[in-house]
Amino acid sequence: MTKPLFLVVLFVSLSAMVSMGQTKPVVADTITDYYEVQTIPMPAGLTAETGAMAFLPDGRLIACFHRGEVMMYTPKTKTWKLFAEGLHDPLGILVISNRELLIMQRPELTRLKDTDGDGVADVYETVTDQFGLSGNYHEFAFGPVRDKQGNLYIGLNAASSGAGIRDELRGRYEPLGRQGKMYSCVPYRGWIMRLTPDGKLLPFACGFRSPNGMFIDAKDRLFVTDNQGDWLGTSKLYHVEQGKFYGHPPSLVWKEGFPDVDPTTLPPATLDSMRVREMIAFPHQRLAHSPTQIVVDNTGGRFGPFAGQMLVGEMDFSRLLRILPDEVNGQLQGAAIPFFDNAGLRKGNNRLVFAPDGSLWLGQTDHGWAGDRGIQRLVYKGGTLLDVMAMHLTPTGFELTFTQPLDEASAKALTNYQFRRFYYKYHASYGSPETDSQPVPVTAVTLSPDRKSVSLTLNELKPNHVYELMLGDLRSAGKRICNRMLYYTLNQLKQKPQ
Amino acid sequence: MYMARKLMILLLGLLSTAAWAQTDTTIIIRAVTGLKYDPPRLVIQPGRQLRLILKNDDDMAHNLVITKPNSRLRVVEFALALGDKGAQQHYVPNMDEVLAHTRIVEPGHADTLTIKLTDGEYPFVCTYPGHGYVMYGMLYVTRDPKRLPPADRDPNLPNAAPNAHASHTTAPAHPYALTFPAMYRTFMPDCGPAAIAVGLPAVNGGPQQSYCWDAGSCRLRYAWSGGFVDNNEHWSGKGQLLTKVVGEIFYREKTGFPWRIGSSDTVPEPRFLGYRLVSRYPEFRYRVGDIDVRELIRPVVNGRGFVRQFTLSPSQQALTFLTGTNDGMRYKASVGKLAGNKLILPPGTRQFTLTMTAL
Repeated sequence: MTKPLFLVVLFVSLSAMVSMGQTKPVVADTITDYYEVQTIPMPAGLTAETGAMAFLPDGRLIACFHRGEVMMYTPKTKTWKLFAEGLHDPLGILVISNRELLIMQRPELTRLKDTDGDGVADVYETVTDQFGLSGNYHEFAFGPVRDKQGNLYIGLNAASSGAGIRDELRGRYEPLGRQGKMYSCVPYRGWIMRLTPDGKLLPFACGFRSPNGMFIDAKDRLFVTDNQGDWLGTSKLYHVEQGKFYGHPPSLVWKEGFPDVDPTTLPPATLDSMRVREMIAFPHQRLAHSPTQIVVDNTGGRFGPFAGQMLVGEMDFSRLLRILPDEVNGQLQGAAIPFFDNAGLRKGNNRLVFAPDGSLWLGQTDHGWAGDRGIQRLVYKGGTLLDVMAMHLTPTGFELTFTQPLDEASAKALTNYQFRRFYYKYHASYGSPETDSQPVPVTAVTLSPDRKSVSLTLNELKPNHVYELMLGDLRSAGKRICNRMLYYTLNQLKQKPQ
Repeated sequence: MYMARKLMILLLGLLSTAAWAQTDTTIIIRAVTGLKYDPPRLVIQPGRQLRLILKNDDDMAHNLVITKPNSRLRVVEFALALGDKGAQQHYVPNMDEVLAHTRIVEPGHADTLTIKLTDGEYPFVCTYPGHGYVMYGMLYVTRDPKRLPPADRDPNLPNAAPNAHASHTTAPAHPYALTFPAMYRTFMPDCGPAAIAVGLPAVNGGPQQSYCWDAGSCRLRYAWSGGFVDNNEHWSGKGQLLTKVVGEIFYREKTGFPWRIGSSDTVPEPRFLGYRLVSRYPEFRYRVGDIDVRELIRPVVNGRGFVRQFTLSPSQQALTFLTGTNDGMRYKASVGKLAGNKLILPPGTRQFTLTMTAL
């Protein structure tokens, strides 16, 4: 609705400037000047609810779809070929070789092998199925991701109160885990599990509702996304460490030594003191509804200026999320900012993977929710857009670093930095209002000598709040700032150096 | 509040005439998984007071907004534009196009709206952010419901036609034709949740046969002839509904796990190890104690039944395989002695077939 109007306004303002006889060319600076969306042709007859994507060493794409197909795509010839079929809702791939894959499907982690080299899988080995299944549709299984020691990690969704369980279950039934909205009545639902190289599946961390994104970075740190709902005021990104509890209570019934109580009946304050807070909150409706897979831009610049940064998919908005990590007192927190916001990308971006050529491939699904189907790719065309590169907490405010030097006048205008802070309640209800919402005035701004960083002094900093930053009309040599909305999750204050 | 209203309706009902009661229509509509209303289509007579109760059986929060005809998307977009004001007004924009609405209803809760309408087609929609493009339905106010299109071909409803009635359409299930033997890991009835459905090719002009193998308890569960499966309901939406058997079930296993090791009567706990495809036939593999068992199931050449080929890893232990009794099948083993329902295998047996034929 608003887009045509926006284009008209842009056109009018451009022509006005031209008619005013300006000699300097005016750049119509939008994200599509730097990145292009391309749509991948899908085979006829495929219901392209994309559950998993990866690239093989030989450069072919491998993708799984909801109806159990595993298909290979050769980008050069634009042709699809079937590799395997009949899987149950496959949602993750780890490539071992051109002929061997690990695939996470609903009932198990499976090793698929093409042993006779005819291009089709003929061996399906069960790598692990040592976790429970109640038959509830919401018990999706995610992963695997692998650490440097060769451990694999998988994520097991909690079940949904919107549906029941089967008469026959796999795994021991625990009625205390059946309470609450989303539940965990069979082993390890709501857990991240570690599969050791010798094949033992061990509980690793709990308190998850729907951990649809799992990622291990170069420092062997595990990151997991989770979805807004009961006990999750908003969707979020966690830095996950062994033995810790991340806030969604029913999975606690499977924690060794946990007392025989329904965890959802514990006082929220008690649960709050047990949980580890998110690294980054993705404010509901503003930034995200359903975050999905996490990837890191490992292209060394072939995908633009954000090399080394994490991108997260999102189901309901035509955008991705870019992560601006910060480390305060040894703990990870940080900000999220839209990427390729409302610029022609379809929704439902469930799976993300970088191709060998540095383009970002996006596998889309709807699967009963809002979203789209198919596969698209984002290709970097060159140039440097004006965007926020980093956001760091200081003892008195924030330091923002940009991709380009800022025009001094716009950078130094206090009105170009509008802060508001709030927090999300931790409670059994679905979602949370933005609570204790207050504007936070900026009292000072200083621009670095290279004009790429601004240091902002805020009137007040409160821990355990989300800081919203709306940027004004920041400019850099005719370029406009690309994304104006950032959310910094301030768990810890930064101490002044002694 | 709710009780009070109920009481008031009751009192009004007692005080007023029977005609009043006739003009009041109460309908319960449910929000269900898959961003759907059940039912998605409501038909009422004009001029009646409609009391619509939204029950939320889903795991997400929902509302229900009745809009003026042709105004659903406009209302959805204005609801999205509410931004942070949305939550406090239940994601309902203040605009003329909104005729009535419930509050935001949390999972497990309910809310009621009342409205009186003249002839027309009134969309209803959930304006919770992200839901409005998928979760909607149509309220028809008409004296002539027979003129409405069938619900599965109603263009005003989401997903008109496709999945649930795919047997009536020609939409392919996959980007390839299914080749038999074919298999799906899926949710099957009367089986554990880790089920495998296998469809076999018809032999000698005989019936097509299929079976359900339980990858949780490592055993054949049942078999049918005359078709394979219908996954449409399982595939559509979020995946709670089961895949359906197409055909007639002629065999059901009632014995439980069939293997006994040594002289013990204890039922061993098997562990599923996967399968390999042999000319597309799955050969299942599982472990019982320290014995590796492989099972490959082919159709018998005549009639209904299977030739089950078992391959075992070397073992010195005596093994017993329990067939069914009174299960409508005749059993024949290539090795060992079948006494009653006990097939006792000679020590060191590495391979045998068990042929089961419908009586």
